[in-house]
Amino acid sequence: MRGRQLAALVRKDLRLELRTRETIVAMVLFAIVMLVILEFGLGTRDGDLTRFAGGLMWVTLAFTAVLGVGRSYVAEREQRVLDGLLVAPVPRVVLLGAKAIAILIYMAAVEVVVIPLVGIFFVKGPYWDSIGWIAITALLADVCIALAGTLFSGLALFTRARDLILPVLFLPALVPVVIAGAGATHAVAGGPHDMSEWRGYCLFLAAYAILFALVSVATYDAVFDD
Amino acid sequence: MVTARGLVHAYGERRAVDGVDLDLAPGERVALAGANGAGKSTLLRMLATLVRPKAGTLTVLGHAIPDAARAARTGIGYLAHDPLVYLDLTARQNLELYGDLYGVADRDARITDLLDDVGLAVRAEDTVRTFSRGMAQRLALARMLLHRPRLLLLDEPHASLDAAGADRLDRELDAARDDGRAAVIVTHDVERVARVADRLVVLRAGRVVLDTPMGDLDPMDVRRLYTGVAP
Amino acid sequence: MTDTPARIPGERAALIWGVLATILVVVASIGVFLVAPGDADQGIVQRIFYFHVAIAIVSLVAFAVACVAGILFLRTRRERWDDVGEAAIRIGLLFSVLVVITGSIWAKASWGTWWVWSDPRLVTYLIVVLIYAAYFVLRSSAEDDRRMRYSAIYSIAGFASVPLSFYSVRVAESFVHPVVFTRGGANMPGSMLVWFVVSQAAILALFIALLEVELVGRRSERALRQLVLRLENP
Repeated sequence: MRGRQLAALVRKDLRLELRTRETIVAMVLFAIVMLVILEFGLGTRDGDLTRFAGGLMWVTLAFTAVLGVGRSYVAEREQRVLDGLLVAPVPRVVLLGAKAIAILIYMAAVEVVVIPLVGIFFVKGPYWDSIGWIAITALLADVCIALAGTLFSGLALFTRARDLILPVLFLPALVPVVIAGAGATHAVAGGPHDMSEWRGYCLFLAAYAILFALVSVATYDAVFDD
Repeated sequence: MVTARGLVHAYGERRAVDGVDLDLAPGERVALAGANGAGKSTLLRMLATLVRPKAGTLTVLGHAIPDAARAARTGIGYLAHDPLVYLDLTARQNLELYGDLYGVADRDARITDLLDDVGLAVRAEDTVRTFSRGMAQRLALARMLLHRPRLLLLDEPHASLDAAGADRLDRELDAARDDGRAAVIVTHDVERVARVADRLVVLRAGRVVLDTPMGDLDPMDVRRLYTGVAP
Repeated sequence: MTDTPARIPGERAALIWGVLATILVVVASIGVFLVAPGDADQGIVQRIFYFHVAIAIVSLVAFAVACVAGILFLRTRRERWDDVGEAAIRIGLLFSVLVVITGSIWAKASWGTWWVWSDPRLVTYLIVVLIYAAYFVLRSSAEDDRRMRYSAIYSIAGFASVPLSFYSVRVAESFVHPVVFTRGGANMPGSMLVWFVVSQAAILALFIALLEVELVGRRSERALRQLVLRLENP
């Protein structure tokens, strides 16, 4: 029953996204613009940004995540459908899971573009051999982003100035994800290949995901409990 | 079907629903009337488990609210002002979603029947964005009936349904009386609802000020009760 | 609830804790600045250490109190737990800001610069300040029930972010700079430890006193609001 509900909700979000193409396209474009701005902002047009590649990647992904997460309940809110979901016998944790999976898919779609671009734009030295390790890092970080993002977007949903509230709530919580994501990427990309460092950061991301999963499961009932 | 005792809901210090008692027997259809801001919609949302009572006890379909709300929700059909469907999904996709959320076993056959029933069979594969307001509300009617609810909660259904939809709803309410389901119909238009309701409850400032069988009703009394001028 | 009490409950507790906190703070200040042995290298600024660390620890206690209050609010839906949570975070945030400021002064004295990104405590408390400042942004943009519910949820999620921030900053630190700055810690002389414990107790008492005062204020405000409401709608 829960599996059927979860599948139906995820399918609904993907169908809406496929039909309107609002979120993913905007996220990808935003991420590319971010990378370009960061390049010029750092002002080293002839310099070597390999050292900063991990950081640039995760700063970009963090801000792109805020953009995507901000869209996560837009259809429900603008078309006023939320009551329909809430009056159905759906455990709130299933709503949480479905939104988190949708965010995860959006982030993965963005990373398919961003991770190779970072290699092309910024890294001088070995990169493509490590792409698998970077992908694992990204997937772990995506779980963190999806869980924290779903919780905070639920909180921001019915506040005034919600578009402003979400980044204020979400970005401080993302600092550890950026630190660990950048650290893990840095450990394996362009230069020294330090697997123990990579493992340390990835374990941290896993711990983050577990902790936020527990908090979300424990509190999500209350988010929609008017 | 419903047992409510001393229900209270407050927005800040202002009490929208202020100590309401309500009982609903199987087959009973109650019209819930009152002026704007009398607390009708809030009370209905409370019965629909969308708003948690601040005080009082509430049992819906034998389940205590809010603790057993999810069990109660399987038997509730809720028709709101908004159709509660996604504009960018087709009519059928919307019903498929709700069929899965309610765990309807014969989902596809049931959807085909209902789309036919509300006169949307030919538009089943069109997105709701292309629908008129009346059509969207007929789809909402199908959405409400999809999981064969035993308690129908309707928020001013006749205001937003077109003639065909209203007829279909009236037939459903008559069937509900015959097979022991119950309904609460929030309305501004008591005369319109009189032909499908058995009982009238009038709210003023969050309190029940009249609870009477439809048969004993003088429309002038209702109007006075709305405004609070003594009859 | 039905009767407006002549005396707000908790007044006496607030008074007692206030007196206790005052005495402890005075004793601790005398001890720290006049009695405790100084550090040859750092002089007077080193003495900030006692309060800096005590405030840092108590601010975490405050956030823990708010987290527990949040859980209790979600269970009972009683406004008093919202009061406790908000008051605790208000004080905890104030203390965290003080940690950042005293830490910055310290950094100037020790390393000649106001800000050191490689100092984990300074960096984490900056993140903690950002996390809990957001709490008030969230509070101010929702009303009534939702405000209390969202605040409770956020105080729980925020408290989950705190150890994550602490740990992430330190993980990064351990890789980038293998030598972590340690202050105080294990090799503290006995007389220093005594004054450290006293200042810790003083700050904790101060937190409790401030919390009680805040709660009394909130209760009297609510009593007043109810009185006004009753006068308006007899």
